[in-house]
Amino acid sequence: MIHQYSGISPKGDLLLLQKLGEKLENKSFLHINSTKAGGGVAEILQRMIPILSDLGVDAKWEIITGDDRFFDITKKIHNALQGNPEVITESMWEYHFDVNKRNAELMDLDADAVLIHDPQPAPLIEFRKGGRWIWRCHIDVSNPVQEVCEYLKRYCEKYDAAIFSVAKFARAMAVDEFIITPSIDPLSEKNRELSDEEIQETTERLKIPVDRPIILQVSRFDRFKDPLGVIKAYRTVKKYNDCILVLAGSPATDDPEGEVVLNEVREYAENDPDVHILLLPPFSDKDINALQRISSVILQKSLKEGFGLTVSEAMWKGKPVIGGATGGIPLQIVHGVTGFLVHSVEGAAYRIRQYLNNPEMALRMGEKGREYVRNNFLITRQIRDYLSVWYSIEHKEKAILEL
Amino acid sequence: MNILKATGLRARTLSELRDGIAAVSDESIFHHTYQYFLKGHILEHTNDFAHWAGESIEERALAEHLSNIDVYDFRNIGELRKELLRVIDGYLEGFPTPREAIAGNEFYFNETKILTFPIGLKAENLAEFLIAVKYIDAGSLYYHFYEARVRLGGGVDDFSAWIDRVLGKHGLAQKISSIDPFMHNIEGIREHIVEAVEEEVKKDMEVID
Repeated sequence: MIHQYSGISPKGDLLLLQKLGEKLENKSFLHINSTKAGGGVAEILQRMIPILSDLGVDAKWEIITGDDRFFDITKKIHNALQGNPEVITESMWEYHFDVNKRNAELMDLDADAVLIHDPQPAPLIEFRKGGRWIWRCHIDVSNPVQEVCEYLKRYCEKYDAAIFSVAKFARAMAVDEFIITPSIDPLSEKNRELSDEEIQETTERLKIPVDRPIILQVSRFDRFKDPLGVIKAYRTVKKYNDCILVLAGSPATDDPEGEVVLNEVREYAENDPDVHILLLPPFSDKDINALQRISSVILQKSLKEGFGLTVSEAMWKGKPVIGGATGGIPLQIVHGVTGFLVHSVEGAAYRIRQYLNNPEMALRMGEKGREYVRNNFLITRQIRDYLSVWYSIEHKEKAILEL
Repeated sequence: MNILKATGLRARTLSELRDGIAAVSDESIFHHTYQYFLKGHILEHTNDFAHWAGESIEERALAEHLSNIDVYDFRNIGELRKELLRVIDGYLEGFPTPREAIAGNEFYFNETKILTFPIGLKAENLAEFLIAVKYIDAGSLYYHFYEARVRLGGGVDDFSAWIDRVLGKHGLAQKISSIDPFMHNIEGIREHIVEAVEEEVKKDMEVID
């Protein structure tokens, strides 16, 4: 499994993974989250568990189960941590705890290290049997509803460490806090190399012309992704450069606003034959991969963003990117080096024109972007970091660890 | 290789940055100054404090002052910390109060845990060294060219120390140790070392009849 990444991931990462694997050989590493499929956490765990096993670590993955009421409560907690005004009552917190307690009775929590993903299973810490416990927060908690954050902190501070995706998401807590950015898998269906035939199959089926430059944004139809701003920017560009705009997203079943926004976008596009609005079914990874590979410029013009891994996906394909300067996007786009950060529709339009009129610059920045992703945002680096955190907790007293 | 840790401390204003610099761990000061070059690309500045002053609160003059601090001039982090505070205090006295950083652009104090490990390569002569320098990862170059100056003390990098001490090539060692560590990214450093070593290897191979 791990050998498949030779020649793709940095040599040092693979070597360090091997060394950490030797140190942690046969030790058990249990991951717990709340869904087996769908969402970025499950997606990365599906790939990570076999790699960990291949390294010699006894990797396990458990899912907590709950009823609709439980997930309704955890959705509210999630939203509150992201800053939406929500009230979580004492009885809701109690139910959150009770469901975790029932899960703890059914699960084998005995492991050398336990990584708990997100708030849903956070109370499991109360049923710890031993080993190192780490809480992994995938959510942007830079501006949370304070009461909800404080309540959850009671659980978090019982862990040996917490992990956040971006430094600005971390909270002041009485526990070691590590920063581990998310990652993409270069071998997954969404990122692997595609043959010309595979790409052609997608463009023909989706009826995307390839005779002119394509501007692409892949995202849910959500106002925070600013799809109308993208259309405005395209219209400005169109005055100077003939091009095609593709907005591709999947319907989000848990987001009632999605359809409203999609209709707004369709209306705003006014049947422009060069604007292609694609509502792709879930798991259209290969189609998204193909669309990214035929594009000239890829946008993620978000107004608010978690980490925005679609930027790394585009950069991995060597494409010039433009991203809104928000959330984790500035960590991926080094302005003027691996892409452009923008703060307005006008900025987006201007940068698209710059790329289209300077293909050499676009190519150069695309190549830099790909190398930047290789060194910072591949799954092997994320696994390396998880194992390093575990190993460093085992040797807490040392600032420099020699392997 | 480093693992990033958050300290939980953040600064929105220059005064808060100043107080943060006075209070954070040595590891945090080390990370925001010496480890700046691990980022792999050079921007306008030479450390995170200068970068934040220039980009987030747009105090260009302060960014210039902070960028000009040579971190290798100091014997320990305590001295470097004092110099950072001296520069910021001087600026706060002489200039109008700078604006606050906008939300999300605050300065976040971090620190790192360092993991070192042998990468399994050894060079016994200059030709092997040349191949190795071309092959190794950026992290390894950082460790031997930047981090060594602090680890060994005296501002000497591992490469020129080895070339001088083991191979006795004082001229080449001098050439490598005089590469300005602040003016290149890691790939730029690699190019300069390769260029200097290649020239030396060629010279050694030339046969004069």
